[in-house]
Amino acid sequence: MSNELLGKYASEVFAGLVAPVAEGLEISALAADDPLAKEDVLVRMNRELQRALEKPASERRWVMVIDLRRCIGCHACTVACVAENKLPPGVVYRPVVTEEIGTYPNVTMKFLPRPCMQCENSPCTEVCPVTATYHNEEGIVVVDYEQCIGCRACMAACPYGARTFDFGYNYVEQLPVFDGAIVGGETAAGYEHASQEYGEAWKREGRHESPVGNVRKCHFCLHRIKDGILPACTTTCIGRATYFGDANDPDSLVSELISKSNVVRLKEELGTEPRVYYIV
Amino acid sequence: MKTDKQLSRRDFLKLTGVTGATAAFLGSLPQAQKAIASAMKEGAGNFEAKPENQLYTVCLQCNTGCGIKVKILEGIAAKIDGNPYSPWTLWPHPAYETPVKDMATVEGALCPKGQAGIQTAYDPYRIVSVLKRKPGTKRGEGQWVTIPFEQAIQEVVEGGDLFGEGNVEGLRAVRALTDPELAKEMKAKVDAIWNEKDPEKKKELVKEFQTEFKDHLDVLIDPEHPDLGPKNNQFMFVWGRMKGGREDVVERFVKGAVGSINMNGHTTICQGSLYFTGKAMSAKWNETKGSFDSGDKFYWQVDTANSEFVIYVGVNLFDSNYGPPQRVPKATDAIVNGRKFAVIDPRLSKLAARAWKWVPIKPGQDAAFALGMIRWMLENEKINKSYLAIANVAAQAAAGEPNYTNASWLVKIGKDGAPGKHLRASELGLLTKQTVQKDGKDVTVYVDANGVEFPGDTPVALVGGVPTPINVLNPEAAPVVGDLFINQKVGEFQVKDGMQILLESAQEHTLAEWAEIAGVSENDIVEPAAEFTSHGRKAAVDIHRGPSQHTNGFYNNNAWYVVNLLIGNFDYAGGSIKASTYDRKGSKKGQPFPVLKMWGEEEMTPFGVDMLRTATTYEKSTLFDGTYPTKRPWFPLASDVYQEDIPSIGDAYPYPVKILMTYMAALPYSLPGGQKVIEILADTKKIPLFIASDIMVGETSMYADYIFPDLSYLERWEFHGSHPSVPWKVENVRQPVISIPGWPTVKVYGEEIAMSFEAVFLALAEKLELPGFGPNGFGEGMPYIRPEDFYLKQVADIAFGEKEDGSDSVPEADDEELRIFLEARRHLPKSVFDPDKWKAAVGNDESLWRKVVYVLNRGGRYQAFEKAYKGAQVANKYGRLINLYQEKTATSINTMTGKPYVGYTKYIPPALSSTGEEIKSDGYDLHLITFKTMTMAKARGISNYWTLAVVPEGYLLINSQDARKLGIKDGDMVRITSSSNPKGVYDLKNGREHPIEGKAKVTEGIRPGVVAFPLGFGHWASGSADIEIDGKVVKGDPRRAVPLMANGAMQLDPVMGNVTLSDLAGGSAVFYDSKVKVEKV
Amino acid sequence: MLKKISYAVGALALLFGLWGVYIRLFEGEQSANYGSYIGWGLWVAMYLFLAGLAAGAYMLAAFDYLFNVPQFKGTGKTMLWAALVTLPAGLASIGMDLGHMERIWKVYLQPNFTSFLAIMVWGYTIFLILIAVSLYFAFTAPEKKAMKAVMWIGFAVSILVAGGVGFLLGGNGARLYWHVGLLPVQFPVFAIASGAALMLLIVGWFMPNLEEKQRGDLLWLLAIITIATSVTKLYFLFADFTQSLYGGATDNLIAVNYVLNGPHAFMFWGVQIVLGILIPVIVLAQPKLAKNGAIAGLMGVFLLIGYAAARILIVVPGQVAEMLPGQAAAFHGPKLTLDYVPSLMEWSVTSAVMGFAILGILIGMDYLLGYLARFTEAKK
Ligand SMILES: Nc1nc2c(c(=O)[nH]1)N[C@H]1C(S)=C(S)[C@@H](COP(=O)(O)OP(=O)(O)OC[C@H]3O[C@@H](n4cnc5c(=O)[nH]c(N)nc54)[C@H](O)[C@@H]3O)O[C@H]1N2
Ligand SMILES: Nc1nc2c(c(=O)[nH]1)N[C@H]1C(S)=C(S)[C@@H](COP(=O)(O)OP(=O)(O)OC[C@H]3O[C@@H](n4cnc5c(=O)[nH]c(N)nc54)[C@H](O)[C@@H]3O)O[C@H]1N2
Ligand code: SF4
Ligand code: SF4
Ligand code: SF4
Ligand code: SF4
Ligand code: SF4
Ligand SMILES: [Mo]
Repeated sequence: MSNELLGKYASEVFAGLVAPVAEGLEISALAADDPLAKEDVLVRMNRELQRALEKPASERRWVMVIDLRRCIGCHACTVACVAENKLPPGVVYRPVVTEEIGTYPNVTMKFLPRPCMQCENSPCTEVCPVTATYHNEEGIVVVDYEQCIGCRACMAACPYGARTFDFGYNYVEQLPVFDGAIVGGETAAGYEHASQEYGEAWKREGRHESPVGNVRKCHFCLHRIKDGILPACTTTCIGRATYFGDANDPDSLVSELISKSNVVRLKEELGTEPRVYYIV
Repeated sequence: MKTDKQLSRRDFLKLTGVTGATAAFLGSLPQAQKAIASAMKEGAGNFEAKPENQLYTVCLQCNTGCGIKVKILEGIAAKIDGNPYSPWTLWPHPAYETPVKDMATVEGALCPKGQAGIQTAYDPYRIVSVLKRKPGTKRGEGQWVTIPFEQAIQEVVEGGDLFGEGNVEGLRAVRALTDPELAKEMKAKVDAIWNEKDPEKKKELVKEFQTEFKDHLDVLIDPEHPDLGPKNNQFMFVWGRMKGGREDVVERFVKGAVGSINMNGHTTICQGSLYFTGKAMSAKWNETKGSFDSGDKFYWQVDTANSEFVIYVGVNLFDSNYGPPQRVPKATDAIVNGRKFAVIDPRLSKLAARAWKWVPIKPGQDAAFALGMIRWMLENEKINKSYLAIANVAAQAAAGEPNYTNASWLVKIGKDGAPGKHLRASELGLLTKQTVQKDGKDVTVYVDANGVEFPGDTPVALVGGVPTPINVLNPEAAPVVGDLFINQKVGEFQVKDGMQILLESAQEHTLAEWAEIAGVSENDIVEPAAEFTSHGRKAAVDIHRGPSQHTNGFYNNNAWYVVNLLIGNFDYAGGSIKASTYDRKGSKKGQPFPVLKMWGEEEMTPFGVDMLRTATTYEKSTLFDGTYPTKRPWFPLASDVYQEDIPSIGDAYPYPVKILMTYMAALPYSLPGGQKVIEILADTKKIPLFIASDIMVGETSMYADYIFPDLSYLERWEFHGSHPSVPWKVENVRQPVISIPGWPTVKVYGEEIAMSFEAVFLALAEKLELPGFGPNGFGEGMPYIRPEDFYLKQVADIAFGEKEDGSDSVPEADDEELRIFLEARRHLPKSVFDPDKWKAAVGNDESLWRKVVYVLNRGGRYQAFEKAYKGAQVANKYGRLINLYQEKTATSINTMTGKPYVGYTKYIPPALSSTGEEIKSDGYDLHLITFKTMTMAKARGISNYWTLAVVPEGYLLINSQDARKLGIKDGDMVRITSSSNPKGVYDLKNGREHPIEGKAKVTEGIRPGVVAFPLGFGHWASGSADIEIDGKVVKGDPRRAVPLMANGAMQLDPVMGNVTLSDLAGGSAVFYDSKVKVEKV
Repeated sequence: MLKKISYAVGALALLFGLWGVYIRLFEGEQSANYGSYIGWGLWVAMYLFLAGLAAGAYMLAAFDYLFNVPQFKGTGKTMLWAALVTLPAGLASIGMDLGHMERIWKVYLQPNFTSFLAIMVWGYTIFLILIAVSLYFAFTAPEKKAMKAVMWIGFAVSILVAGGVGFLLGGNGARLYWHVGLLPVQFPVFAIASGAALMLLIVGWFMPNLEEKQRGDLLWLLAIITIATSVTKLYFLFADFTQSLYGGATDNLIAVNYVLNGPHAFMFWGVQIVLGILIPVIVLAQPKLAKNGAIAGLMGVFLLIGYAAARILIVVPGQVAEMLPGQAAAFHGPKLTLDYVPSLMEWSVTSAVMGFAILGILIGMDYLLGYLARFTEAKK
């Protein structure tokens, strides 16, 4: 298909994200003036997370906020997510879309990280024939690998391309084995089977064992949250562009951020009500 | 608020009444759903949050050295996150005293490479046995046999007909000089020879040497040139990436034990000229000698967090540098809080994409840009005069400044108008030499007219027009604040001060001309200059490889540093700062283990000219015959000149090498002109014995005779140190956190330890009975028989701190922390972790041991966040003389031209040959540069499949205008050729060739006429190609064989022919001065 | 002769298909070419095609049993049987598309009725039962009220399910190319059209015992139906595409571009339009040719191929527009591509399905139906 077309659309998407001249939010840990007044947002969000966990699950409203001005397109989040969830080849939860804009010398780059939007009104869950993907009690859209029949209807339904199918590939397992000479694929592959998604051990051995044959997606690192650890993409965000927390907590950083004027959500017009907000 | 659309969807479902129907069915809510729900409650199976499953160490995916938290699941490293104690990953970093268990759920940020580190440790292609080149096959043929460790050691030590190619000398034979006493005496004589200026007398001294040591001349490389040193020097150790600890062990082994002078790192391939510009500018005034001693090998970076305006020059901050997790959050904070920064880079880096201003400069012309800025600053008086006028420590103290410069020191101007040495007070008769009695001894002092005593001759400044001797170092002496911009006669001497020399140099061209040379507009210079000079000392220029890795790198860097100097931002918050680390060598009073000085038996004293000709000068050596150029350049101002290692061996200059050992080095791959390195590595005549330490069969080790498997960064010890952009005093401790299932162990000195780099040294030492190793290695009853015997002593020094009374030491680990320490290591085999042996390594001192545990539990030692600044200045200061004018440089000779180096900030064109000529490259009209991408580190990143999923292959960035001209479309395969490599291939020998080809990436984000490629792809070894071990083929992985590596197309030095272009002053290997042709294939 | 060839073709198809089925069942889906961006491929298209065919066949059976159109007299059983074969074939095709087909039972025991997929599975299962019952009555009590009743229900359901598959795609609000209001309306038309094509083939080639005059008239009638539906379909296409191109919604542009001048444009121009519409319409427009069984049958084959292609060209292009532009370049890995050509394994499985359908229909007509007829006679 023609590149201009893609290009055109890309720009359109980003066009919606062009920053209004809003005042920069003060989350600097070491603003030139007062070094010690602040703490790393990661520490603050960690505290807020512990606080939120003391409430009943149903009273939390997890949201993610991504500051596109701070995103440097480093893909740490993408890889951290792959590493955290031991995503196999072809499966990705949080790609970062890069776009070059302008012509030399007036040119720049834009980066758009895209986790699952955790839509409150989620097309993906409605089309699932067996309720294998649904909102859990905290409102996060999860996939029950043991229930999923692998029909990919949810993939077709997701307006954000946030779902990918596990075809059963591995990164290193299939590589050469030669005991006594090299470490070898089998020994090396240990970590590939160490996924703890949804707080369960997914050995994922063989060609048919779930989550192989399932559609997979971002789940806001449920298994980390419940132990009081922020999502992997959030803690590893070196640009400090990714924020996570409980929007029902008026004092939380995310509540603070999404009340600003320079906040947008992707494809609002579809009425999916994403729980992921972008600062532009 | 809901949109109609959803309403209608919901209504529709209601209408059809199916929701009701569903409800009916939801009675049978699928089992697994319940399972999940409950699992989430109980936290079944989760391991991440438990401190007993977490170990803190240091990343080495790139050289930034971020603290990491490795999460262990059933003995394997399951996840890596940021160490929350480390200033690299959290900002501000929490209190060091926070209990580890409280940090269990806190983690800092890492870059994608750090996140992917697991795949470096668990790389299927890592070797687990010593590999020997299959006898009867050629180097690089890729045919190996596995042999027992002991056999390998035996063969390396004793030599013999190891490959059916005739006899090979082993280490025992090469280590001809074994008597430490004799070594000492010889060294003394050689020093005498070097210090003798008169050629005739020199000859005499050589004769004397030969007679005095007539019975031992056989230990010398060349009795005619005793100053080449003992044959021991023909054992040469070359490393690529090596950090503290291992570095100290190497020095112990190579110098102290083997007695060879030849051990070199890779500095000049990295940001070489940056270090050696720093060294030249930090040259130390020696008040008794009345002259300069060498400065420190270091450099400055910007205090990213506090700068109100930064000009990043050839700094790839959002993709590489030192490094993303540490510097990026501070830079993005600047973005959202409106603190501007400019980026000077021919390529639109991600940093440039976020900058207030991007200036796509012409590669290599940084000094022109900087001198333009300097001229503007000087002529508009936008400089910190009062600071620059401060001429000595006394004046610095009086003004409350953190440091001072020699800007006002007078410099003598030669007949030819060239600045020479600083004027000395005695030359004006301001001081006279006298010999006085000081506690019974005669000492020479210098005394002025009023009888004031000076420890030695001094430089001079004009104070209110009056020539004044400068007592440089004594804080109690008279403060000297000198006049600036001097150009006059003083006595019989025509003199100028540093500022005047700078002004004239900056006025060599008009602003318009400087802009023209730099390929930018005048405004591109003035705008940043104006901004730069309107933030007091909270503005800074940050420089890295971009300006540095050119033939004129030294002068580019110097020009930019001088821009900083003009506003006096050194040691200021938001200005130029330096790294500081806790002493790991025990050299401070009271530290428990002065490891470098702890020798059970007397160590060797190495001497002689080193292979890279850096430790002494050509003129001092007996090789000096008054003629220039020399066969290969000497490097009076630089060291660790990586690109010279192999070619010097190739030319046997200054002497042949018999045994080469490499460590963690990808010379043929990472060096410009690497194809020339291959020619020599593959030649058994030029390198009779070649040993490599590697974790796989890499681009270098594929040519080795023996490859010893090493531990990965997650399995070993190291002290990663710090970087100049880190204001805190720190030491990062890398320690074993995992052991690969079935990892081999070896027996040395009766101890079972992991197969490793250390094991090789220990075993060689055992066999050769070398001093400094073994049961009494550190002294009577203080063994050095296990790796940690050395490293834990260093941890103890770090834990103890730098105050004699111990008041600077860390707390002792309490019982809870001790428990966590032990439990978290439950998966480590005894060969790696044996608590009793670890404790014994620090002398079984319970208190010290608990301090060591405290440090290890935190993966290092980090100064408290708030301790980094004192008011407007940083706490860990550089704090002394900064040389605006470099006398030492001005008096050093370039041995390729016979002329002295320029000692001041001057524009020197880029891309010159070693003899200073321009290079013909007609027909090759695209300018090739290179850079790093966030997801790739070095030659090493190729095993990280997770990051390869983000950027799967290398590419050639080319501006759409050039692409159109050449009829190249995005994604087209192109070949890169140059006058140095017209075929555009690497000759890998044995009939194998590797094309310099890759896909074009057409972009607007690069200066037209310039093309660029990222480091890390285009491998021909490292698991990318098939090899044969014990007759069995190990298939390469196509994912590792992806293009593109174009270092082989870079410009070679036309004079020597077998090496890349170099910056002879700063030592840099040159990455950005090549002209190439790009053709569609 | 034509029948022998058909048997051979069916048998060969099935044989070649068994290999693909084996790979799919035992080695999983790696050797398929659908992926995470184009997640629905050949098999889903063939499901739409065959399910539609079944619905169409049933509608035409109704021409015999409900509307007593004289030309259709006596063809009802055959068409019901064709429906009874093609529907399972279609379900098999989509079954193979499931990552975990062993869990298909969940759709029956733990369905989610907000899911149109679930509704469709249920719908088609009910439809399948209705077909079977209809066929049963067709033998036992063709004239009874019950038969009529069942047929009426079945007729209605056939239209609903046919439209339903349209909704299956059209319901995806984010997929502009599918999300055209008319899709559910179009699909029943497609169904009748494909039913007619199938009947052209069956009547043209495999109904020797049909009296010549009736065959001629029937073929001519089918020809007219075909021409009518083809024109309607062309209009739908025209409407869709011009509307998309004019409206200029990027996703639509991408999709329509992909169809009209994408890498597989031949599928559209060559197969769907020329082979699947123009040639048959021109040929069938001439009564003489239309009434010639051999030719009419051949046109039936062309038409069916065209319809199959049309399904692929609805399913695939709807997915070529990235939901997030640039996504495909942001992360690399197997099955993360925006182009799709069915793999040999996929073709093989589809070939098995088709082989099953062809043989099923033939064997049914030659043996089963006859046997059942005799059997029911005997009982009376
Ligand atoms: N991802 C990643 N990070 C790393 C490393 C890695 O391998 N990968 N390595 C680490 C190491 S060892 C080092 S030394 C540092 C290097 O840190 P940097 O030097 O900041 O990184 P490079 O990518 O080498 O950046 C060189 C930059 O200079 C630009 N440049 C090229 N020629 C010129 C010129 O003539 N003038 C100017 N002004 N700019 C020019 C290039 O376009 C590029 O942006 O990175 C460290 N961090
Ligand atoms: N085109 C281009 N080239 C560049 C650069 C660039 O920006 N562009 N950057 C330059 C810079 S800044 C640098 S610092 C150099 C670095 O280049 P080098 O210093 O030569 O080292 P590396 O590339 O890190 O390669 C290290 C090699 O050691 C082996 N190795 C890996 N891990 C281990 C280990 O744990 N132990 C042991 N014993 N061996 C190991 C592997 O074979 C690997 O190839 O590259 C330079 N080359
Ligand atoms: S880690 Fe943060 S900065 Fe990096 S790409 Fe992701 S969101 Fe952007
Ligand atoms: S983004 Fe896609 S997958 Fe995530 S909830 Fe929304 S529709 Fe579902
Ligand atoms: S693929 Fe799984 S989760 Fe998605 S719709 Fe089908 S069954 Fe539901
Ligand atoms: S929240 Fe967790 S699962 Fe979702 S993108 Fe971030 S890391 Fe991945
Ligand atoms: S910057 Fe370098 S050291 Fe830090 S995490 Fe990334 S790769 Fe590791
Ligand atoms: Mo480097």
